[in-house]
Order: sequence, then structure tokens, then C-alpha cells
Amino acid sequence: MSQNGVISDQALEFKLVFESYGVRVKLKAVSRELLEQASHAANSALLGRLEIVDNIDAEHSFGFSLDDDSETLVLLENGERITSDTSVPRFFRFFDSLIRIKIAENTREWVFIHAGVVAWKGRAIVIPANSFGGKTSLVAELVRNGAEYYSDEYAVLDGKGLVHSFPRDLSIRYFDGELREKRVDPGTLGGRVGRGEIPIGLVLLTEYKADGVWNPQTLTAGQGIIEMIPHTISRRSNTEFSLKVLNTSVSNAIMLKGPRGEASDFAIEILSFFDTYIELTQN
Amino acid sequence: MNNSQRPIARKNGLVVQEVPDEVLVYDLETNKAHCLNQSAAMVWRSCDGKNSVSEIVTLVEEHSGSKVTEDFVWLAIDQLSENNLLETQLTSSFQGQSRREVIKKIGLATMVAIPVIASLVAPQSALAAASCACNNPTQCGNPPNAGCPSTVNCNSVGLCA
Repeated sequence: MSQNGVISDQALEFKLVFESYGVRVKLKAVSRELLEQASHAANSALLGRLEIVDNIDAEHSFGFSLDDDSETLVLLENGERITSDTSVPRFFRFFDSLIRIKIAENTREWVFIHAGVVAWKGRAIVIPANSFGGKTSLVAELVRNGAEYYSDEYAVLDGKGLVHSFPRDLSIRYFDGELREKRVDPGTLGGRVGRGEIPIGLVLLTEYKADGVWNPQTLTAGQGIIEMIPHTISRRSNTEFSLKVLNTSVSNAIMLKGPRGEASDFAIEILSFFDTYIELTQN
Repeated sequence: MNNSQRPIARKNGLVVQEVPDEVLVYDLETNKAHCLNQSAAMVWRSCDGKNSVSEIVTLVEEHSGSKVTEDFVWLAIDQLSENNLLETQLTSSFQGQSRREVIKKIGLATMVAIPVIASLVAPQSALAAASCACNNPTQCGNPPNAGCPSTVNCNSVGLCA
């Protein structure tokens, strides 16, 4: 399939273009079967929020090929080989992660913030955090305590600053000789998946600390936004729009920062606090 | 300190967003996000290359309706310069006093909030988006997987750990 490791574009004869969140992506493969696998992986990664389009022009392209051994899958991005793997699940797992980041980086109409999101009484609780900061545990506990599940990965903001759900199954990491990950349906936590677009009511900038005591600092809008910027995927590619949307999105939100203890206790405490806050701000 | 200096606010490579009572500045060159409180923003806006430090003092007083000192303006300029938000770096010696001492002195002398710039470096790539998915150790330790448990190992299930 390749000559001297170089894969020609002509070899990738099976093609389709899809659009997701306003970003057009072309998938090209050496076989119909591989194209179908790639298309299925993209569809799953983006929760079906893509549309196949006829237009053959696309801002980005991913190529799927095989090395000369016919066993090693090769992934190309915009014509450049970026990785290869003999494990099909691992190969597509990497693509699954990559395609979401590419869409989140390149969309012009939406702002993706790496964050957990739940809804409580029609307002979003957004938890921006780095990976391995306890975000998923907290989202799971909030859902167990009755919050609607919106996302374990991205707060997806529209141009008006409203949050839309991106309800991939929760990604729970555990150790079993080595670090592993399992997908958990929020329904198994007794939770419901939220669907509508809602305003942000609370931004929690918190990470789990073994001896953490929740004694948060209340941030101003500006202070809160600069804390959210590192988690905002399009901050480099679409800076002006991202800042504008962040600004709008937190205009009626309270933003709290500080370390927390166990997610189970913290979830109850924060929902009780948010109840009081909603009551006070409504009256 | 030379109060006849005429500082110029940097414009290139910055994205500015007005927030109620604050100004957000994202520096595309350094990937730093800055939050200027109202006082710092007031001084920054007055740095047009025409106003001297003494004139900026007058402008801030007119805008805030309160007396401020030259130290107040220098405290803002000092932070603006440190954060590369001025065209040319200006250094304030505060006549041998530390910034802490100056803040204390200003706090006692004025009703206007002390100029403060809060800054945070954002990683160049989407570090925060790290899913830690990998199929090759070289993908660990580099953006977007720079924040994962391992920077050198891609484990058998495809996680940088």
C-alpha cells in the first residue's frame, strides 16, 4: 500500500466528507471497509453529531491506510503520517480522541471547554479541570445526587454562551495492574441526560486533595475567565470569539475556586449551596 | 523614577475583551492570559505615548474622582511592563522600596483600588484536553498529552500511564 513508507493520495481512493459543529473533515481510505470503520469511529466520537456532505472540499483530512505488512494501520492527517498501530481498537481509540480535539479546535461557531457539566434546576454547573483532577468522580457523584448529566468531557458553548450537552458515557479510570478506563452509562448512576441549552450558574475550579477542605475563593468574572482559558480548546485558533463567548457565558454565574475533599460529600454540599444561591438570586 | 516618561500600551499580538470592571488580555505570543482590574486598566488605556506618568496621574484622578499618587501609577506600569503589555519595558525602582511596601503605602493614601494584574499561562496546545489516548510512547509527554500520568509510556490499553 505504501512505497518507501510514503502513501500516495491516489491509493486512498475511498472518500467521504462530513461536517460537525461547522467543521468539514474528509476521511480517505485504501478500502471501503477501512473507510466504514473510520466513519463509524468518527460518528461515535462525535455522538452522531455529524452530517455527510457532498462537497469534496474540507479544511481537514484524515487518511487511513495499511503498511506493507497489511497488518499495521496507518493514520495520516492532512497527508502526513502521524501514527501507526497493529492494534485496531487502540488505533481507533486514538483517532476517537484526536477527531474530537480537531473539531473542538477548529470550530468557528462553538467553544469547547474541557470540563465536566451537570445541570441543576435549569442551570449548568461547569467544572473545568485537567485530566486526572477528579472531574469524572465529581460529575458521577453530582449525577448520583440528582443532577442531570451533560458531559464528562466538554462544556459546549454556543455563541450566546449557553451550554449544550455532550453526553458521552463517563470515562472512569481505574487501576488493574495498569491504568485502564471504562465507559459508564450515566443511566447506571441513576441519572438522566440533559438535552436543552442552559445558562451557566456555577463554575467550580476545584481538584481533589486528600486533605482538601472546601473553603473557596469567590472569583470575579475576569479572574474566573482567565482560569477557564487554559481549558478552552479554541483559545489559540479562535481567540477573540472564545473570549467573547466565555465572557457572555459567565455573566450570571458564580465562580468558586479551591481544593475539595471526597467527591461524595462535596457533591451534596455543593448542590445544597447552589440551591440556596438559586433561591437568593431568584428572589 | 522618571515621571516624564510616556509609556505606550502594546497592541500587537493581543486580544482584548472588556469584562464588567475588568479587562481581559490574551497574549498570543506568550499564551498568557491577564486580568487587569479597573485601576490597572485605566492606567493601561492612558498609556498612549503622549501622556507622561504625571499626566496619567491626573487622568486617573479625573476618572476615579479620588486622589492618587505617582506611586499608584508606577505600580500599574511596573506590572504592565513585567507582563509585556507595554511597547517598551519601563522599570520602577520605587526609590528603594519593595513593591509590597509601595502597595501598603498606596493603600493608606487612596480610596481607589490598587492596580492589580492577575496572570495565568495557558499551555500552547490543548493540554487541558488530554485524554491520554496513545498508541505510541512519543505521543505521551507532548501536547495534547503533556499532563498525563506518564510522559514516556503508552500502556497496553492505549493510555499514557
